[in-house]
Amino acid sequence: MWETRDARAEALAFADVWNVAGPILLDETGDYAAALGITGVPTNVLVDARGIVRAVGAVTPAELEQAVRELLSE
Amino acid sequence: MTGNLPPRPSGPACRAERAHTVVAEPRLGAGPEAVAVDTAARRAYVACSRDDAVVAVDLDRCVPVWRAGVGREPIPVVLDLPSRRLFTADARSDTVTVLDADTAVRVAQIPVGKDAYPAGLGHDPARRRIFCGNTAAGTITAIDADRLEVIGTIPAELGAGSIAVDGERGRGYCANFMSASLTVFDTETLRPLGRIAVGEGPCKTVVNPVTDQLYVAGSLHSTVLRLSLATGRPLDEVRVERAPVGMCVAPDGSRLYVCNRGAGTVSVVDAVGGTETHRVTVGNGPGDCQIDAASGRLLVSNAGSGTLTVVDRPWLPGAERPPVHAAVGKRVPEFALVDARTGEVRTTREWAEKRYLINFFASW
Repeated sequence: MWETRDARAEALAFADVWNVAGPILLDETGDYAAALGITGVPTNVLVDARGIVRAVGAVTPAELEQAVRELLSE
Repeated sequence: MTGNLPPRPSGPACRAERAHTVVAEPRLGAGPEAVAVDTAARRAYVACSRDDAVVAVDLDRCVPVWRAGVGREPIPVVLDLPSRRLFTADARSDTVTVLDADTAVRVAQIPVGKDAYPAGLGHDPARRRIFCGNTAAGTITAIDADRLEVIGTIPAELGAGSIAVDGERGRGYCANFMSASLTVFDTETLRPLGRIAVGEGPCKTVVNPVTDQLYVAGSLHSTVLRLSLATGRPLDEVRVERAPVGMCVAPDGSRLYVCNRGAGTVSVVDAVGGTETHRVTVGNGPGDCQIDAASGRLLVSNAGSGTLTVVDRPWLPGAERPPVHAAVGKRVPEFALVDARTGEVRTTREWAEKRYLINFFASW
């Protein structure tokens, strides 16, 4: 989660409201987002088993489903 | 007449005129979510949600000139020119704060209901009304812009936020983010007039009085819905970029500017043809935008980078990002980040040899 102020409290409150499951990692400085060239939220990054970025973006349900399907089909 | 004609313009300066350019990007503070413009006074006013403040910016010098505290987490800001007052909806203090736009003095703070989470504002200057969309309460609070008193509450739906006003017909349209709908109401009598079903996640709605259309940004599907104001019926959808959340219409009605929060861009849409003509790269997480009618410049409040992007000649195309993101095909950078739930540091190594998805999100 790209959160620079009261990061932990904000992240947990947000996750509670929107039923976010899975690990929530705090990018408090925004440095990791910058390292990946992420310029806004939400943004999805799909990574394959070799650690290679396969897609960036893919936020609509249709785009995400297609990107995940392509990744899983390999 | 004799003598030489002046030389034709050429060279880099001439080429620059055929493209939009970012001329300034002043840093304003944390979470700039929305901007209002006073063209005559050469001022922009930016709501900085994480600073609980409004920042005034000199439009000619592109520098901040004052900062005034408001309620907690102001999201929208509206300028009422007749009274020269600024209104913010303060999501976490359940208030609408009123500032004098010239002196930055706080004039009033109006409660809109406990746990209402006010997140959107609408403005009917002719009828002297401000409307506040209360996200958690699913209501709209109507405020007299002169007496600064609540004059009524209109039922809406869960996620009530952005409000557009069709001043010609005296109708308001409230986007209900969590209900995939618009609530239509009479801005004079404050009576609800109906409901329009739209796509998921309507986040912002604006009126184009020139084309007689209403636009609704569908943040979850990266689209803008166009509706006829005359009939209330949908016309078509315009595809934009990731997570459109803010919009403004050019003063002549010819273009719609759409802030794509997920992409760090603004889509420029031909309002007549209903197509995206080009994109402008701005700061991180753009929240909303306005046009300075005097200069034609586009002002974009970037919630992620804490800045205001000032774009000259935004109607012209310019350099755009490549269609494929630069990170695609490269090794994912190593991370070592704290888990919000457990406090443990987790690293890339944990996910080695697995296929996984990183979803960047934020509460801002």
